[in-house]
Amino acid sequence: MDKMNIPIGPQHPLLKEPLRLNIEISGERVLGGILRLGYVHRGIEKLAQTRNYNQNVSLTERVCGICSHVHTTTFCRAVEALLGLELPERVHYIRALMCEMERIHSHLLWLGILAKHIGLEMVFMHTWHDRESILDVMEELSGGRVAHAVNQIGGVRFDLDEDHGPMVDSTVKKLKVDYEELLDVIEHDTTLKARTQGIAPLSAEDMKKYCVVGPVARASGVDVDMRRDDPMPPYDKLDFQVITHPDGDAWSRTYVRLQEIRQSLHLCKQIIDDIPEGPISVRAPRKVPAGEVVMRSEAPRGELFYYLRSDGSEYPARLKIRTPTLPALGILPEQLSEIHIADIPVVLAGIDLCIACADR
Amino acid sequence: MVVNTIDIDALFNALGGEIDRDCIQQDSIQNEVVIEIPAEKLLEVSSVLLDQFDLYHLSTITAEERAGDPDYLAVQYNFWKGSGLTLLTRLEKDSPVLRSLTGMIPGADFYEREVAEMFGVQFTHRAETPPLLLPDDWDGDPPMLQKEEPK
Repeated sequence: MDKMNIPIGPQHPLLKEPLRLNIEISGERVLGGILRLGYVHRGIEKLAQTRNYNQNVSLTERVCGICSHVHTTTFCRAVEALLGLELPERVHYIRALMCEMERIHSHLLWLGILAKHIGLEMVFMHTWHDRESILDVMEELSGGRVAHAVNQIGGVRFDLDEDHGPMVDSTVKKLKVDYEELLDVIEHDTTLKARTQGIAPLSAEDMKKYCVVGPVARASGVDVDMRRDDPMPPYDKLDFQVITHPDGDAWSRTYVRLQEIRQSLHLCKQIIDDIPEGPISVRAPRKVPAGEVVMRSEAPRGELFYYLRSDGSEYPARLKIRTPTLPALGILPEQLSEIHIADIPVVLAGIDLCIACADR
Repeated sequence: MVVNTIDIDALFNALGGEIDRDCIQQDSIQNEVVIEIPAEKLLEVSSVLLDQFDLYHLSTITAEERAGDPDYLAVQYNFWKGSGLTLLTRLEKDSPVLRSLTGMIPGADFYEREVAEMFGVQFTHRAETPPLLLPDDWDGDPPMLQKEEPK
């Protein structure tokens, strides 16, 4: 049968953010694809060299509109490491609480998008409704739904008051109930299983070859999570499981992320119960001593990498950011090979693409 | 997964005199083992890391200009296995050329393309690819090498 090329994007109803994908098809079969990024490239790494460290906290917050908090957390940890700052324990707990709520709302957002692509409108509405309750809590805590502006170099900008603990607690309880309903759908709904099981399976070896991280890798059985393997405080004191699944297909990715929501709810509860009293920041100087540091955190989509080099001035000499979506996009052409055209949305959604993150 | 930190002595022995002991440094970048290698040894050293130490995870490739070393580009290969390991190499800025690792680590593809576009590094032994991030008609200097004053 004749081969044909079909361009998808940069603007396309399937895509929430711009990228270009040229797929080659033969009949209904996809033979492969070529990917092109850069449509939302903002030159953030270059821009960072012209902003001082405090301004860069705001800049890194804008790398991503979903996982903004983990970016500032990683950046601040890198600067604080160069400054040699010892932070109060309470700071770590507040940062981790926001990280986990961010993971929950990111995973719920993703699950809603996948459900919408499959045609499960009810699951889409259900998950996005639940996501709103988490966003409401984040807004109540920080004042922002998307850019939370929680972090500053040397600590955090808000403290939890006596009302916040019960609010997080009641939201966690409510979401745990809703979670069981969602898990029932994922495990038993025939439409969802038909559209996701066995679709674009990738092995752990594939994931390792392409350096893929996060839930996508864990859904192929790669047992890696920076919260456990390269932990920032207070994760070394918290109890949670790293969820993996051996199958590597679109259903496994759904299952892993849903189970991770449960773990994050469990972590939120622990943080609220265990958070120590104390100050929420220490004074940080404007100039950072010369030196280099690498920081890794577990963002909702996987390992987030920051490299920071200071030359002793008020401005970073180099800030390198590698977001987890970039390696996941590297394996996309492999995933698109030998699938049905109708499965393209499921494959794209399965990765949980964040193009703004990948472009920077 | 059993998390291992990197055994520097075992690493040095495995490299079998390919590099000087002084070129392996603990924590010259905080939290990282850094091995400074000549560019032509990149493939050999990476093979040892991958085959003998199972250091399959390349977090990224980081290139940069350093003020104290104006004629060179520093290129880092940031590996990770329980803790970080960085291979550091210096390239002459006039003709920065590196051997591609995509044959061994396919995940290096996007990282190499980004370094090629943003810093003008030429990677050999890899497939020709269209631009990944820059516009198709870009004909200026590599963006990260352009000078801009802090505001």
